[in-house]
Amino acid sequence: MAGYLIRRLTTAILVVFGIILVTFLMLHIIAPSPAITVLGPKAQPAAIKAWNHANGFDKPWWDQFATYLGHLFQGNLGYSYHLNQSVSALLTEKAPLSGLLTIASLVLSILVALPLGIYQGVKRNSFGDITATSLAMIFYSMPTFLVALVLVQVFALSLKWVNPNVPQDQTLSGALAGWPDLIMPIVALTLTAVASYSRYQRSAALDVLAQDYIKVARAKGLSERLVYSRHLVRNASLPMITLIGLSLPLLIAGNLLVEYTFNINGLGLLFVNSLQGYDYNVLMAYTLITAVLTVVGNLIADICLTLSDPRIKLV
Amino acid sequence: MALLEVNNLSTHIAISSGSVQAVDGVSFHLEAGETLGLVGESGCGKSMTGLSLMRLLPPGGQLVGGSSVKLSGRELVDLPESEMRKIRGNEIAMVFQDPMSSLDPTKTIGYQVSEPVMLHRGASKAEALDRAAEVLGLVGLPKPKERLGDYPHQLSGGLRQRVMIAMALACEPKVLIADEPTTALDVTIQAQILTLLNDLKDRLGMAMILVTHDMGVVAGHADRINVMYAGRIVESTKTDELFSDMRHPYTQGLLASIPRLAQDNTQKLFTVPGLPPDLSNPPTGCRFAARCSYAQDDCRTEDPGLKGPKEHTFACFHPVDGPLDLTSSTTVADRSAPAAKEKRPLLEVTDLVKEFPVGGNLFGRNKAVVHAVSGVSLSLGYGETFGLVGESGCGKTTLGRMIVGLEKPNAGQVTLDGAQVGSLRGKALRRHRRDLQMMFQDPHASLDPRMRVGSILREPLQIQGIGTAQEQLSLVTDLLGEVGLPKSALERFPHEFSGGQRQRIGLARALTLHPKVIVADEPVSALDVSIRAQVLNLMKRLQASHDLSYVVISHDLAVVKYLADRIGVMYLGKMVEVGSGEDIYQRAAHPYTAGLLEAIPVPEPELEREKRGGGIKGELPSPVAPPSGCRFRTRCPLAQERCAEEEPAMRLFGDGHVAACHFPLQTPVSDTPVTVATPAGEAV
Ligand SMILES: Nc1ncnc2c1ncn2[C@@H]1O[C@H](COP(=O)(O)OP(=O)(O)OP(=O)(O)O)[C@@H](O)[C@H]1O
Ligand code: SF4
Ligand code: SF4
Ligand SMILES: [Mg+2]
Repeated sequence: MAGYLIRRLTTAILVVFGIILVTFLMLHIIAPSPAITVLGPKAQPAAIKAWNHANGFDKPWWDQFATYLGHLFQGNLGYSYHLNQSVSALLTEKAPLSGLLTIASLVLSILVALPLGIYQGVKRNSFGDITATSLAMIFYSMPTFLVALVLVQVFALSLKWVNPNVPQDQTLSGALAGWPDLIMPIVALTLTAVASYSRYQRSAALDVLAQDYIKVARAKGLSERLVYSRHLVRNASLPMITLIGLSLPLLIAGNLLVEYTFNINGLGLLFVNSLQGYDYNVLMAYTLITAVLTVVGNLIADICLTLSDPRIKLV
Repeated sequence: MALLEVNNLSTHIAISSGSVQAVDGVSFHLEAGETLGLVGESGCGKSMTGLSLMRLLPPGGQLVGGSSVKLSGRELVDLPESEMRKIRGNEIAMVFQDPMSSLDPTKTIGYQVSEPVMLHRGASKAEALDRAAEVLGLVGLPKPKERLGDYPHQLSGGLRQRVMIAMALACEPKVLIADEPTTALDVTIQAQILTLLNDLKDRLGMAMILVTHDMGVVAGHADRINVMYAGRIVESTKTDELFSDMRHPYTQGLLASIPRLAQDNTQKLFTVPGLPPDLSNPPTGCRFAARCSYAQDDCRTEDPGLKGPKEHTFACFHPVDGPLDLTSSTTVADRSAPAAKEKRPLLEVTDLVKEFPVGGNLFGRNKAVVHAVSGVSLSLGYGETFGLVGESGCGKTTLGRMIVGLEKPNAGQVTLDGAQVGSLRGKALRRHRRDLQMMFQDPHASLDPRMRVGSILREPLQIQGIGTAQEQLSLVTDLLGEVGLPKSALERFPHEFSGGQRQRIGLARALTLHPKVIVADEPVSALDVSIRAQVLNLMKRLQASHDLSYVVISHDLAVVKYLADRIGVMYLGKMVEVGSGEDIYQRAAHPYTAGLLEAIPVPEPELEREKRGGGIKGELPSPVAPPSGCRFRTRCPLAQERCAEEEPAMRLFGDGHVAACHFPLQTPVSDTPVTVATPAGEAV
């Protein structure tokens, strides 16, 4: 196990390094220097040159990359020229709220999707299954922001159950104090995730139900309820572990749209804004977070799978 | 009163296009302590009958009104589900076919075996586990107490099937339904499991319904047999009487079309023409009428019904009297004896080795290799057939794939017509590939489902750039005719054909390039007995008309013996014996060959009953770390110290008969080691 973890972490670091390198290169091709952002569109070429020299932007890219990596190792993510703030400070400010949204919707969607998918598999082609399938299809094919807009229209504007505006106090404690306002963004994220998880869970349940050991369990005299709880649920959930692990970064991407729609001042919004302004230390940081999440999600999924599936050994 | 009394049992399954009459008016009885065989071809309703007794029907399945199943006089058909659950696994238990998928992969075997004990006996967990260890010991799992915590994937197929049986027996049921309990296992393991089931049945005093398609299996293990055809029982009587004095034409045809080990292989096999009827729209009258050579007008209008004295019932208006007289009714195959061939071998395989790496990781550590084929040689003459037999995992298929070039050997040579295939490149290689074709086990998986049969057959011609489209078409049409399919088949897709027809297409495809050698990997294993005989006859006929040589790979010795002039027996990547059919069958020199012959169930009740308990013990060792010296020594009854130290060399036992054993069952002609047995017989 220890050997496995060491190998996995080594690979993970290599992967993350690769991603940083590629992103760094691409950003450099698109926008070689943030000078314009800092000095304004009317800056003189001489001034730009001087600024570039002063801040190291006239060095070859590998030099710049080395500097970036050096800073990264010290935990320094650079400076946002656009927002005049260090990236670390920006992240500390915005990450908690985004993290809350992601984790809350992840937990909720697992709690809903797994039982729902199993129910659909067991009651295949029943009214409930067909309804759930149709709804899932709708939410799956709808972009998250559209889901969000529909939610706002129905629950906030028409029914007036919740406030259409998200709390303006966007620190974590402030947002928690006004938690009812977070319901809609979380529900929007959850709906999309449930739509895809429940589809997979349903087909995983159908696969397991077709296995001989289910027939064997019935032949032992177990009631349907016991057949499902003892022999179906665990086996049918195994494929979900990997899927959920892999979809962690996707949830972050989903955040982006929802934050944009609800005007939540989180990581997603930060990313959208920095994209528009070629704010590249922020972009780098965002890519880094996604890359790390991908790798970590994968690793956690593998470990969970090993713990729950006796056939898999980490060697 | 019989223990189990089944009357007029009918099961219909609703499907989108109507209803399948899977079981139709089945009646039989089962006495305590008795084994009843339920035999018939695929889809005849054997499994569905077993499942209906337990009321475990698939979605859409329903027992039709009037059905009755009485267990010790108690009607089961109208019991509430909660009462029925107390019967399942407790009074009637079932063992299923596939031990690989019948156990829950995430639960320990201890848990799975103790589950019914807790359920039906109200035992505590600890008591149930004790009971589980006890039954696991009963079914021959070594050190059962220590293995309660094992997971199914840690056990071999044979051991898993033992666990399945333990699970079924945990509550000492009165009736055990064993649905093809050994079909997924190798013959040597099959013999062990059948003997086990038989012993346990006697010791626990239960009754058993043995469901199988294999007449050999019921011959040795059933007291009485029900023959099923198209959802109905067509004949029912004592085992000996069924084999010697059958009355139903279907039983007669079924038994006549099985190739026997003692078969004269210059004779055509008897065949039952056609296919079983579609059960969603069965014909009126006798369901066998369309394939029956005794059928008359009344057969097609009236249902004959199961009649006759209680100890021998049959459903036929014009019954037969005993088995077909095969000596007069079969015609000699129009195939010249392989003696007229050239002296020079057509195909020579020398010391082929194939190892597959397994395990290992990113950094290349912990690498192990599977020794799939470890230095095998054989030679094949013009127009000759070489048969390869052995248990699963012995390397037969890998050897076949290396011969046709689908797999690259790690060492060794394949020589075709004097040219080393391995050293050819480009055009010459392509030209050579044409001469070596392969025919696969599962015609369903090897034919592209999205291509029409016409395109499938023309594809090899197109790749090789042979002929115009018109010529290709006419060639392909001729071939279809030769394998007995209508021209209309060209426009159809593979899934629109039956298994036997697909295997004919596979054969036609192998023939399109006029190859010299066809390697046929389990060509008939997926087929039912009556269809199998049709395909075997076809293969023989085409061999004569196309001047073909075959390498036939099969685990079924009778099939190989029927097709082959010479037979090679493989064990764990090594060839252990090569000889003519008679050498292998009557004068086996290697203990493994003898054990294999012993283990193969033959459709002859007396022979089979004598064999009980014999056969090879233990299981196939891992090919990752094969035993030192003779690889068979871990299971060999004759093994001595020398067998572990020294690998036995091939020695000559007669004309073309070689075997590798230190202490053979026959006396070798000479003690000098030989390498390859040539088709003409003398050693090189
Ligand atoms: N779930 C199902 N839905 C519809 N038809 C079915 C289903 N299962 C079986 N059948 C049909 O019922 C008939 C009997 O099937 P059954 O499985 O009892 O055959 P069998 O004799 O056991 O064959 P095999 O030797 O292949 O196991 C067949 O015609 C089959 O196609
Ligand atoms: S009833 Fe007629 S068709 Fe049916 S088996 Fe007998 S002779 Fe053949
Ligand atoms: S060499 Fe020894 S172990 Fe091998 S088959 Fe012969 S007697 Fe048995
Ligand atoms: Mg079956």
